[in-house]
Amino acid sequence: MDQVRPPLVHDSWLRRAGRHVLAALLVALTTAIAGFLSLDRLAEADIVLMYLLAITATAALYGLEPAIVAAALSVAAFDWFFVPPFHTFTVESSRHLLTFGMMFAVGVFVSGVATRLRQQRFDAELRRRTDEVRGALLSAVSHDLRTPLAAIAGAATALQQDNAPLPDADRRALLDSIAGQAFHLERLVGELLDMTRVEAGALALRKEWIPAEEIVGSAIERMRAQLSPRELRTELAADLPLLHVDPVLFEQVLVNLLDNAARHTPAATTVTVSARRLGAGVELAVADDGPGLPAGVDVFQKLVRGPGAQGGGLGLGLAICKSVVVAHGGNIVASPAPRGARLVITLPLPPTPPGGA
Amino acid sequence: MSAGTVLVVEDDPQVRLFLRTALCAAEFRVVEAVTAAEGATLARSHNPALILLDLGLPDADGIEVTRSLRTWCTAPVIVLSARGREEDKIQALDAGADDYLTKPFGTGELLARIRSALRRVVLSATSASMTVEAGELCIDLEKRVVTRSGVEVHLKPTEYNVLALLARNAGKVLTHGQILKEVWGPGAVTHPHYVRVQMAELRKKLEADPAQPVVLITEPGVGYRLRV
Repeated sequence: MDQVRPPLVHDSWLRRAGRHVLAALLVALTTAIAGFLSLDRLAEADIVLMYLLAITATAALYGLEPAIVAAALSVAAFDWFFVPPFHTFTVESSRHLLTFGMMFAVGVFVSGVATRLRQQRFDAELRRRTDEVRGALLSAVSHDLRTPLAAIAGAATALQQDNAPLPDADRRALLDSIAGQAFHLERLVGELLDMTRVEAGALALRKEWIPAEEIVGSAIERMRAQLSPRELRTELAADLPLLHVDPVLFEQVLVNLLDNAARHTPAATTVTVSARRLGAGVELAVADDGPGLPAGVDVFQKLVRGPGAQGGGLGLGLAICKSVVVAHGGNIVASPAPRGARLVITLPLPPTPPGGA
Repeated sequence: MSAGTVLVVEDDPQVRLFLRTALCAAEFRVVEAVTAAEGATLARSHNPALILLDLGLPDADGIEVTRSLRTWCTAPVIVLSARGREEDKIQALDAGADDYLTKPFGTGELLARIRSALRRVVLSATSASMTVEAGELCIDLEKRVVTRSGVEVHLKPTEYNVLALLARNAGKVLTHGQILKEVWGPGAVTHPHYVRVQMAELRKKLEADPAQPVVLITEPGVGYRLRV
């Protein structure tokens, strides 16, 4: 993997502090055991080895930083409890200073090795999982891309046959199929491109301040033909603040939600796009009064497709929505509705932009 | 009777085939170039009415080509580019291109864009009469009066300036950067939300449903155009 290596765990300062406390407890436990066995039965070297064991275990379990803390604590505890004069940090013989130095150095060195092993194990696991997803994606994608290609190739070669001229109506149908399937293919490739973009560049959002009407409006404009003849309503609150989003990616989110509505609902459906302030954020929703979402399925998972979808996509549309919204610090959920489907985005609201117009 | 000469600068033979067929059927005379260098030569020798320029040419950056064409050639340039390359489109428009088409596009859209670009040339050459009509809107650039279905609409100065700029370039895409530079001055080009806020205000005053505009059209990630 040549991408930036992901950190082992993304977590809070609380969990980091927790690991340091556990490291300290491990050192304390080692000290207690060594104290219990007492110096009568143990040589100093045995105690040093016990501490090194604790440091190595810390490195393997909690990583390098806690292991260094453990090494420092071990040296201190060893000096305080087991090096005469006891219960002071003063040292009689300079030989012990060397022991301390060696103990600390070996502890840190071994910890480094243990941490690297831990990272490698983590990388291997990540790679295995990524490969699995990639494999499933690839087989689904190649199947879905071949279907329109097959229709195009079939229709085009039928038109090439000049030994048996086709009736005009048939020629027309084949030509319509070629054009329709080509644009369908374009949409699938677009979906793939978006997924790649989102996965590769979730960190490279180009956020700008933008009114909700504008982004809703351009998404509707792009989807108007597909949504027709469904009735389309917009309910945008008058006091909406500017959104702070990547205009291109966020418009794609709304397009995907509208596309989802277009493909899973009958023609006599009403589709409503709404936006309002909600607490310290903004809520945007795309709702319809169609048959609703399938029960017990996470529609935001990659490759999950609803039953009876018309002009099926790759099953990436809603997964892309989720990735983009989450990258914006927001969330998207399927909210329970008495009728039909209702997908709700919540976005945090940052402080207002500098200077008006 | 030919509808004029169109210079096609495109390296892909299949796309050239499609463009040639569609343009010839619409009675345009077609001159084809495969590279940017050839395109520049043909532009000088054939004096085309319009240039279709692919942004992904093998021998030169399409944006540079647009810029150098603009130094001597007034024919409208429509650039062809792939979806997801909004940055390229903005740069091409800022370099002086008149419009863009996102691949893949159909014949209908191609011809509509070409005709609209050619119409603008005729309009700007013939009429100094400064009234622009778009849907229910009428923008009188001389008297600085805007009416909607015959009723005068009061606009704030900045709102009017943005609308007037779009009206003077009716049908043409203007990038956020171009509008900011014209209306607010070169110092404001890093604040695209200035334009967006003004557009939102204009839509509230001029569109029946601001979220479903019919005249003040957003070109996602690129800019705006006044649809006439």
